[in-house]
Amino acid sequence: MARIALLIWSLGPMLWQLYTSLRPTEALTGGLSAGPVWTLAHYQQLLQGDPPFFTYLLNSALVGVSSTALTLALAVPCAYGLSRIGRAASRSLSLAVAAAAAFPAVLLFLALLEVARDWHLANNLLALSLPYAGLCLPLAILLLQASFRDIPLELEEAAVMEGMGLWQRLRWVLLPLMTPAMASAALLIFIFCWNEYPIALTWLSRSDLLTLAPAMARIAGSSVFTIPYGAFAAATVLGSAPLILLMLLFQRQIISGLTQGAIKG
Amino acid sequence: MTMRHASNGLRLHQLSRRVQQQTLLDELTLEVAPGEILALLGPSGCGKSTTLRLIAGLDQASSGEIELGGAVITQLPPAQRQVAMVFQSYALFPHLSVERNLSLGMELRGVSKSEITRDLEQVLALLQLEGLRQRRPAELSGGQRQRVALARALLRKPDLFLLDEPMSNLDAQLREDLRGELRTLLRSTGVPVVYVTHDQHEAMGLADRIAVLREGRLQQIGTAEELYNTPSNRFVASFLGNPSINLIDTPECQLGLRPERLQLAPAASAAVVDWSALEGRVCHREWLGDRVITHVDCGLHGTLKVVGDAGLANNPVQVRWHQQDALRFERESGALLPLTTRSQ
Repeated sequence: MARIALLIWSLGPMLWQLYTSLRPTEALTGGLSAGPVWTLAHYQQLLQGDPPFFTYLLNSALVGVSSTALTLALAVPCAYGLSRIGRAASRSLSLAVAAAAAFPAVLLFLALLEVARDWHLANNLLALSLPYAGLCLPLAILLLQASFRDIPLELEEAAVMEGMGLWQRLRWVLLPLMTPAMASAALLIFIFCWNEYPIALTWLSRSDLLTLAPAMARIAGSSVFTIPYGAFAAATVLGSAPLILLMLLFQRQIISGLTQGAIKG
Repeated sequence: MTMRHASNGLRLHQLSRRVQQQTLLDELTLEVAPGEILALLGPSGCGKSTTLRLIAGLDQASSGEIELGGAVITQLPPAQRQVAMVFQSYALFPHLSVERNLSLGMELRGVSKSEITRDLEQVLALLQLEGLRQRRPAELSGGQRQRVALARALLRKPDLFLLDEPMSNLDAQLREDLRGELRTLLRSTGVPVVYVTHDQHEAMGLADRIAVLREGRLQQIGTAEELYNTPSNRFVASFLGNPSINLIDTPECQLGLRPERLQLAPAASAAVVDWSALEGRVCHREWLGDRVITHVDCGLHGTLKVVGDAGLANNPVQVRWHQQDALRFERESGALLPLTTRSQ
């Protein structure tokens, strides 16, 4: 019973959006109409817009992938280091990282704007990875550190005795054992980048470079007189479809990564 | 076995490890000849695993020297020491098949493809692992995992073999069955072997010599027989032997009496020349199939364990022993008193 309630609670709004996106505008705004009950007009309008909606999806995907890669590339060495230095040092450093993770990011964003202006990073999709990686890094470090800790030390020592260097140990022994943790961290980062609004809004102004969130805001505010419910709903559906797809693809790794870390020796 | 020609073997010289104020290992000096199996024996926390980790290079020595094959390796990183180690948990890589577990190290060390294939086949055949090459470690039994760990160590072609309680994850029956096999296998490598265990039977059954450690200090080193018959102190005497040695106080010293060297006689039997005796009562009888252990309550002298049968509880009985079978320890230090100063 509780499960069904939970399902309705979380899936209901999504299904409502899907339903809305397929209804003609007249039906949504309460006007009478003799037209068809279902329509794909909203999707058509989005996909044939200027620039077409796919551009936004691609932009978001590009930003998401580059930010995720950058974050993981930085977080893996940090987490490894934190899990291998002495306990006292690691505790205070981890606390600092946790404090960084808890810092309200909204406060940073005026400063980030200055950075973008001074270093000419505006309207550059890849540059957006810098603040995104910065914001995701603390959480990623904490997640990966926990999973490094779960790998028995003897495994790495066995690799040392086999004559493997640090990078060989990471590449062949440690990282393969951390795939679930890496997958769940990567997905969390990707979702953050996909949904991020204020920084994208201020760093990007050219309409062909917009990511999903600011693009959708533009659709919603495109007309002063009517609210384009249908188009907005269609954009929501198209925007969340890739995330749902990713979730379905990686659900096993993500669940095991979030619940128990990596492995038991 | 004499250690005159140990230049190719392992030599530890006053090896110590201190962490902050704690001394984990205190000036350990010993030698292991090529082809010799030395067991490091002691209770947990005695420094035996520390010794192994120092030799492997996983921990740094605070002072002292490690020499292997005539070269000092104290400062070398583990990878350059040509030392193979079998871990207590076996430390097999869980994401790799048996075959990959064995070949990965060789590949990364730059061994040629053909050599890898040849050695791999040889070792798989030697340890009867051919049928398991595609299995993951999780799909293997404890004994099979141990064989894979041994195979990986053999493929390292080491100058020295280190084993850290390799039997402790196996059940008792399997342990006894594997002891002979393991001994033969380790022998065949012809390199020094250092074997850490807390199980006296394992040490006695496997090793040529045993080094008993306690709180980071070497207590005694010698063959199982030497340790058993002439323990250097009370600790060694009570650590070896099952059931453990009986200790009774006399005015001059403390006597150590091995349960199997004690005899049971009818109560109040006449004294015999060169024999000592105590009167007591049976308080407990352990029937173990191949032998019976009788616990005899001797009043002020405490309870003695005797191998032998004297009937049921409460039977009066005499416990006696040949005087030359009693070990004499100094009461405070626990050191063994020389046999010649005997004056009874």
